[in-house]
Amino acid sequence: MDNLQELLHGFTIAVTAPHLLLMVVGVLLGILVGVLPGLGAPNGVSLLLPLTFGMQPVSAIILLSSMYWGALFGGSVTSILFNIPGEPSSVATTFDGYPMARDGRPTTALATAFGSAAFGALVGVILITFLASWVAQAALAFGPAEYFAVYFLAFASFVGMGGAAPIKTVVALALGFAIAAIGIDTVSGSVRLTMGVDELVKGVSFVVAVMGLFGIGELLVAVEEEFHARAVSSKIDWREVFRAVGRLPRHGVALLRSAAIGCWMGITPGGPTAASFMSYGIARRFSRRGRHFGTGEVEGIISPETADHAAGTSALLPMLSLGIPGSATAAVMMGGLMIWGLNPGPMLFVDSKDFVWGLIASMYVGNIVAVALVLLTVPVFAALMRIPFVVIAPLIVIICVVGAYSVSNSYLDVVMMLGFGVVGYLFKKLFYPLAPLVLAIVIGDKAEDAFRQSMLISKGSLGIFFANKLVTCLIVGGIALLLLPLLLQLTRLWRKPASPATDAPVQERAII
Amino acid sequence: MISRRALELATAVLTGSFGVAVVVSSLDNGIGWSSAGVDAGTFPCLTGIIVVLGSLYNLLRGVVPAATLANVPIAITSIELRRLAGLFVPAAIFVAAIPLAGMYVASALYVFAVLAIPRHQSVPRALAMAGATALALYLVFERMFQVSLPHGALAAALGF
Repeated sequence: MDNLQELLHGFTIAVTAPHLLLMVVGVLLGILVGVLPGLGAPNGVSLLLPLTFGMQPVSAIILLSSMYWGALFGGSVTSILFNIPGEPSSVATTFDGYPMARDGRPTTALATAFGSAAFGALVGVILITFLASWVAQAALAFGPAEYFAVYFLAFASFVGMGGAAPIKTVVALALGFAIAAIGIDTVSGSVRLTMGVDELVKGVSFVVAVMGLFGIGELLVAVEEEFHARAVSSKIDWREVFRAVGRLPRHGVALLRSAAIGCWMGITPGGPTAASFMSYGIARRFSRRGRHFGTGEVEGIISPETADHAAGTSALLPMLSLGIPGSATAAVMMGGLMIWGLNPGPMLFVDSKDFVWGLIASMYVGNIVAVALVLLTVPVFAALMRIPFVVIAPLIVIICVVGAYSVSNSYLDVVMMLGFGVVGYLFKKLFYPLAPLVLAIVIGDKAEDAFRQSMLISKGSLGIFFANKLVTCLIVGGIALLLLPLLLQLTRLWRKPASPATDAPVQERAII
Repeated sequence: MISRRALELATAVLTGSFGVAVVVSSLDNGIGWSSAGVDAGTFPCLTGIIVVLGSLYNLLRGVVPAATLANVPIAITSIELRRLAGLFVPAAIFVAAIPLAGMYVASALYVFAVLAIPRHQSVPRALAMAGATALALYLVFERMFQVSLPHGALAAALGF
């Protein structure tokens, strides 16, 4: 019961007036970026990052994580009211959320979504409360070889379970590693991959990459299609809110199943987007009313929303306890942790107890604040959607430009950010996954260091990765995940030799 | 109009050439094993090779039309292309103008141009928004967070 004591201590840190204020600010900013198409949680958090450098780490992480919760909720608002997903992870919510809202039940749809989202988040936080310190404890015994094996497993699971074309995932990962290697090598001190540009010695900041990939890239995708913000009424009927939440327990099976899917996809780096699609698909297959999905079914809202938030929350577990973020946004936050001078990984639970438990306690409080605020502000943010896109787009461009510049006062960063924007657009358009790219940029250096240190220990023999049971299991698991797409392809060919893969478009849709 | 295939090919060539550049550049740092352990160039070189191989695979997938590619022959229609250019070209000009005009002037001009020239907003409203943008940037960054944004060569010449 040590954990509960630590948690109570965490509450004394999280529930103070300045931190509650930060939560409110963070959640409101989060809802804002969640509602605006073209701005999402990853670049919202990275935009805020330069402003947190002067703060206490625990205050900074409370601000950033609250923004994350806000963005997750905000994305659902526009999905349901406008049929425009504000976040990639709330695409699946549009399938049943918008039809229900259009049929005159917007309050029911919103309340169902928020209620199940809060449940998903709660399950994720409880999981973190009880599992994170245990995982960290186990990880304290890790040497460089074990660390490399864990990184390897994380990267391999993107390839095996990410849902995107495997080779495209591999290319995205390797590109991220190469970008991470630019600049001064931490082991030998030599300058790498600057290609003659002296300013690149400082390396490429992940903030610049995220700003371009998610900010400009998403904006370019969004501008292609004209928005028809045909809003359904955004009035909230409070009695209906409580009635809709009261009906949630009837769908207990769907709630629990979706939360489990979400937690699994969050801890393994599948991410919230994949989790919500997977959960929706499974619900449609197993629900008794599966045939009615797409016409405003309650379970069609519950399933993606619960999984989305469970995944978003539990993505912080591996970040805190192993130093491996489970989603793009968690990767950005982890970059922040390193900038604030903390060392993400098991040592956090020993060195910075206040930070860890303050954060975990703030997740409980932050999600409650988020549910309350999002319900209160739905009409305000719905009105925001009536501002024409042509007005919002240049503002987002300016925010990204200023954000990229302020990372290290460098004009080159701004130019690179724009370049990343083009890459982000191309990748999104062609279904290259962006999360592994960002993840590799953030932890590429650490993975490389772990590999080189283990090579130093073993004097150049790869045998160190099979030296004990744990490492062997991790490495073999990673290799199995890498080969999984190949095996699936082969069995598919085996079963029906002539017909080409017809489910590919569905798969591609899942990673937009 | 740009076909899905052309876009796939272009992207594969883009990633592939970056991969080649990484491989070539990492050879300078030395690859393989030395007395100091794994050489600095080894890891980047490996990633570069993976990028090149993966890009080649994607390139071939693009050339040989698979079922999925045949489903979406057109990736970007000409209307979409015009919309894309309408967003990206002004943004690129804005970024190019920053060293000369500075962040405040450039962003104000950018907002004004994007809103007033295609007549999305009336000229006075566009002017007001442009002014508000520059002012907000100044207040938030220069005043609240004490982050100095570039003032530009023009401002320097005028003595700011």
